[in-house]
Amino acid sequence: MKIKVAGIGLTKFGELWSKSIYDLSLEAASEALLDAGLKIQDIDAIYVGNMLSGVLNHQDQLGAQVASLLKTNAPALKVEGACASGGLAVYTGIQALLAGTSKTVLIVGVEKMTDASPAQVSAALMGAGSEDERLAGLTFPGLYALLAKAHMQKFGTTKEHMAHVAVKNHYHASLNEKAQFPFEITVEKVLRSSRITDPFTLFDASPITDGAAAVILTAADNKKQKTRNKKDVFITASSIATDTIDLSKRESLTELKGTKLAAKKAFTQAGISPSDVDVVEVHDCFTIAEIIAMEDIGFCKKGEGGEYIKQGNTKLGGKMPVNTSGGLKACGHPVGATGVKQIVEITQQLQKRAGKKQVENAKVGLAQNVGGTGATVVVHILQV
Amino acid sequence: MNNPPTIWRKTKELHKYIGKKGKIVVATKIFVAPEGFEHEVPYTVAIIEFEDASRKPLQVVDLTDELEPGQQVICVIRRIGKVEASGLISYGVKAKPL
Repeated sequence: MKIKVAGIGLTKFGELWSKSIYDLSLEAASEALLDAGLKIQDIDAIYVGNMLSGVLNHQDQLGAQVASLLKTNAPALKVEGACASGGLAVYTGIQALLAGTSKTVLIVGVEKMTDASPAQVSAALMGAGSEDERLAGLTFPGLYALLAKAHMQKFGTTKEHMAHVAVKNHYHASLNEKAQFPFEITVEKVLRSSRITDPFTLFDASPITDGAAAVILTAADNKKQKTRNKKDVFITASSIATDTIDLSKRESLTELKGTKLAAKKAFTQAGISPSDVDVVEVHDCFTIAEIIAMEDIGFCKKGEGGEYIKQGNTKLGGKMPVNTSGGLKACGHPVGATGVKQIVEITQQLQKRAGKKQVENAKVGLAQNVGGTGATVVVHILQV
Repeated sequence: MNNPPTIWRKTKELHKYIGKKGKIVVATKIFVAPEGFEHEVPYTVAIIEFEDASRKPLQVVDLTDELEPGQQVICVIRRIGKVEASGLISYGVKAKPL
């Protein structure tokens, strides 16, 4: 499979009170078109990754909405898979290219969250959980806390291990002007901030964020499109796996089976192994999620993720930097935009356009995007 | 969803859980609640494994001590979430220590 990344666009992530869901979508999409050197007439189809536009922005039919903002009559679809909506939209666009029904597609990931109250957002996000979980008064910080407690019970993972994920990702965000929290924090700060669930403090959690990201993908044999003055970046694997929506119905509480399955499929598609990867974006909606992702993708042994991260292997300058954007934790997590932002970040890294957060000699990148507690997992591999 | 048909459908299933016994697999405490549960914080939620090996997430009530994995629990019927003076009362399953 060879799909070329023709262009990328990304808005600032944060509490963007002056910008609507429409402003954000248009800004990211326009930047991607400009980056690709294309006009909207060159786009055969549009895929919009978004979770909550109907609930939080009272805007459904978001595909046509984005198309009309861009003044095109091209086919346009909204793709939803909770926090994996962005990754799913990229996957869907790729399927259209592989099927040959489109030559060039635009993917826009967007979420406008800060117009609603945190309690409204929290309740809306629980739409990605099961009915039993909602009736038990669970939240996503609660569900991931259950995963964290299971990991702590089985492998001795500590709150300090988890804090190191937040500290590292804040350091990366401090080098990223688009990040919501571009500043550093300490392990003590994480451990001493207010408790949200047992064992998480506020700094174990990703924030509520506004933002949008866009990518333009084209069939690699599309001669019409040339990447100007930039290295060609190819998507060499795109895979999805699903699992039970209800966390309690899983075979194991210390892994996300969806990640294991999707990653395995992706490595087979790309014909590479975990040791070939130079730079990674994983779905660190909570600190424990990054630890579990590292283990499930195969970057370290099961149970050793906390120690692996604490030792600095995944920090910029380390063996294999992870979440150089700052991750969901510190770059921010506009849910529908996240999976697309990961592709933008990896593309920047492989094209040596990542600025202060540039990973040296990065040639292979991987992105893992998770919906809910792992009911949907999308994995992409990008290469130069 | 706190509407009559949803509550009616759920109520028909409640008897299956009354007195059902199980044990705690893993538990957490919630300090920041979603809409409708704000008045209960902090509250405990756990994944319960029943004697038939099935699992379900349940709020755990009537706690006096810290909850440990393996703790035996029994299902009871309780109100779920906040009840307004003129609103519908939703009943559901919670667990309490045995």
